[in-house]
Amino acid sequence: MTAPEPGSLLHPVASCADLVPRHVVKARLLGQDLAVWRADDGFINVWADRCIHRGVRLTVAANDGAELVCPYHGWRYSNRSGNCAYMPAHPSDAPPRRLRVPAFRSEERYGLIWSGGSPEAEPPRLPHLEADDTLVLRALPVNVPPDLALQGLHECSYQLGPAAGDAASISCDSAGPFAVAVTARTGSTEEIVVHFVQPVDGGRCVIRPVMRGTPAAGRRLSILRHHARQLEELRARLESSAGSRVTVRGPSTALEPLPRPSTTAASGRAPQLEVSVARKWLTAEGIAAFELAPMSGQLPSFQPGAHVDVHLPNGLVRQYSLTNGPGLTSVYRLGVKLEPDSRGGSRCMHDSVHEGDTLQLSEPHNNFPLRRDAARTVLIAGGIGVTPLLAMAQTLERQELAYELHYFAQSDDHLAFGEVLEPLSTGLVKHLGLSPDQTADEIEKITHDYGAASHLYVCGPGPMIEATRAIAGGSGWPDDAVHFEYFKNESELHDTSTFEVRLARTGRTLMVGAGISLLDSLRDAGVDMPSSCEQGVCGTCMATVLEGQLDHQDVFFNDSERAAGNQMLTCVSRAAGERIVLDL
Amino acid sequence: MIKLYDYLLSVNCYKQRLLLSILDVPYERVDIDFYPGWEHKGAEFRKINPLGHIPVIDDDGYVLWDAHAILVYLASKYDPTGSWYPVSDPRRLGEVASWMLFAEGTTNTASAARLHVSLDYDFDLEACQAGAHRLFRVLDEHLWFQEQQGQEWVASGESPTVADIALFPDVALSEDGGISRLDYPALRRWTERVQRLPGFIDMPGIFPVAKAPA
Repeated sequence: MTAPEPGSLLHPVASCADLVPRHVVKARLLGQDLAVWRADDGFINVWADRCIHRGVRLTVAANDGAELVCPYHGWRYSNRSGNCAYMPAHPSDAPPRRLRVPAFRSEERYGLIWSGGSPEAEPPRLPHLEADDTLVLRALPVNVPPDLALQGLHECSYQLGPAAGDAASISCDSAGPFAVAVTARTGSTEEIVVHFVQPVDGGRCVIRPVMRGTPAAGRRLSILRHHARQLEELRARLESSAGSRVTVRGPSTALEPLPRPSTTAASGRAPQLEVSVARKWLTAEGIAAFELAPMSGQLPSFQPGAHVDVHLPNGLVRQYSLTNGPGLTSVYRLGVKLEPDSRGGSRCMHDSVHEGDTLQLSEPHNNFPLRRDAARTVLIAGGIGVTPLLAMAQTLERQELAYELHYFAQSDDHLAFGEVLEPLSTGLVKHLGLSPDQTADEIEKITHDYGAASHLYVCGPGPMIEATRAIAGGSGWPDDAVHFEYFKNESELHDTSTFEVRLARTGRTLMVGAGISLLDSLRDAGVDMPSSCEQGVCGTCMATVLEGQLDHQDVFFNDSERAAGNQMLTCVSRAAGERIVLDL
Repeated sequence: MIKLYDYLLSVNCYKQRLLLSILDVPYERVDIDFYPGWEHKGAEFRKINPLGHIPVIDDDGYVLWDAHAILVYLASKYDPTGSWYPVSDPRRLGEVASWMLFAEGTTNTASAARLHVSLDYDFDLEACQAGAHRLFRVLDEHLWFQEQQGQEWVASGESPTVADIALFPDVALSEDGGISRLDYPALRRWTERVQRLPGFIDMPGIFPVAKAPA
């Protein structure tokens, strides 16, 4: 029988007790340096110990309970996915999804954390130990190769007996390729210690002994001391006999990081993720809340302000903002308001989608990114428009950045996600039961004193966003300080024009006729354009314009961006003249 | 006011700044051109400390040198709680004295390696590194067993002592001297606990840690 390749197995890299809150454990397995940390939700991350930006070790990063923050340039990496969540040097941009720290397997068994590159391997299950009843003894790093340590454990097992065990008979057996089990019998009592050997690299290992059962509280410390002493003696012997003979060899197999969360590339409007409805509840009058869990693996991470496309059972596609704060990475949490004049989306979510159902989603898109470098951050929510702003408020709260969340709603009963609002008390201001005029007066008060580096984020019904943009603009807020996201495009769309489109990169020319959108014309011509809302709201189908006058019909761009005329949303906007040239 | 003859990158000077900050004692820094000027070895400075090393304090005319001796003096004089140098508890005081002597060892190995690497001091680097690893093994084991008994600090008891201050920078900056802390998980947890003490200040080379969970 040939021994299995070490890289095809999982090995221990730490003990569970090493992962204290807000700490990052430094580990090394088969030559790969690892940063191991537990998030506040209990998930254990085993990552390559290297910031993908400038290579700084992530074991010096701060574990804030939900993200690791690199001390060099402040890049933040999300629990579970390892995706970069924020780059302080690019405060107005959502980081590209491909920015991700390589992650490895993480499993808990016998009080140890197990990792490795194999997607299939499991931690060993041994007859010697019971999974939930062990005492993890003190681990000892040894500067000899793993095979010498295993050999030494076999040869010296007779010296690894129990503390009060003069009469013990000691036997040892191999508990898999990287462990030695030592059994000591004294009369009718039996002590079993399995010594797992973590292959650190070609010249080093860590012996991690685990004892079966839980000793009486009064004996615990003396048992720990006894075994630590014995193992130290073994280490001294191993290291002195290995001496200079040890040649440090590289590991024979490199660790393979886990693949990215299984999604397909953004293409057209096809879904990329499959999720199940883990929880559905009524969070406020007319507002259903959903928690969507991945069918396998981890959900791609997202930034505050992001939304997903939900592919509904009735064939419709709708965009819903993620309300998640930075600690919540195991599910996507959405809020959906039942619209009385629903075109089928919110009605379907309320009536036809139940706990346990499967839904198809896009990856999160973020066209409403939050800067975290503002002197003042004002969030204005109208009704269900609170959903992306909840994600923002929780992020700012967690990073101890000042903000105001002005939540306009009909009444207390209409306030969604009370359990999230509760801990936000300092930043939250409720404005209940106001008429449109009273709402405008309040917004006037909130925005009347514009200061440098202030940023305003507004989401809610169209007229409220219009009013806020107008009021803030009148008080001196520049366009690039007022960020907004509409739910839908309520303007009347015109598609009667006919125009020519030249695609500069491919050199092709096509005609867009009346009654067909530029997006569909591009797709008919074989151009793979991603899209999401297809009504000029979300910005997914944006194209760069090189020449030509534009007939903007979206609600995505602000006035300055429209005036610049170098970008357009292909789903609703068209040429104002006879011809445009796109950078496609 | 206390005058501290100081150098930003010296771990022994930092030990004084750290304790003074924690005890919230005002002081005045006198910057010594340690590197590259070797001012502490010059004739002028030897009038203050004939041994030619820093830190030195001058507390209203009372002049004291030797980093760990200064820690003892500052804690005894300026800590009204008496917990940083626990003279009223002979057992703890004995432990503190023992670990302060141990800290002489970490300073002469781990911090000496750092001086060799970063400030051109003529030490045997390999010997310093090997010596530091020998001591770190002992300290990691000690701290691991402290944790097993619900103890967070080097000496027994509820609160930290000057022994923690004397050891902290030698450990926290060891990687500057090429001494990895991969093998010392208990040491890495203890340095984070020190960094979360109220009044903690850092020095170049020490990275901030996240706040403890609420």
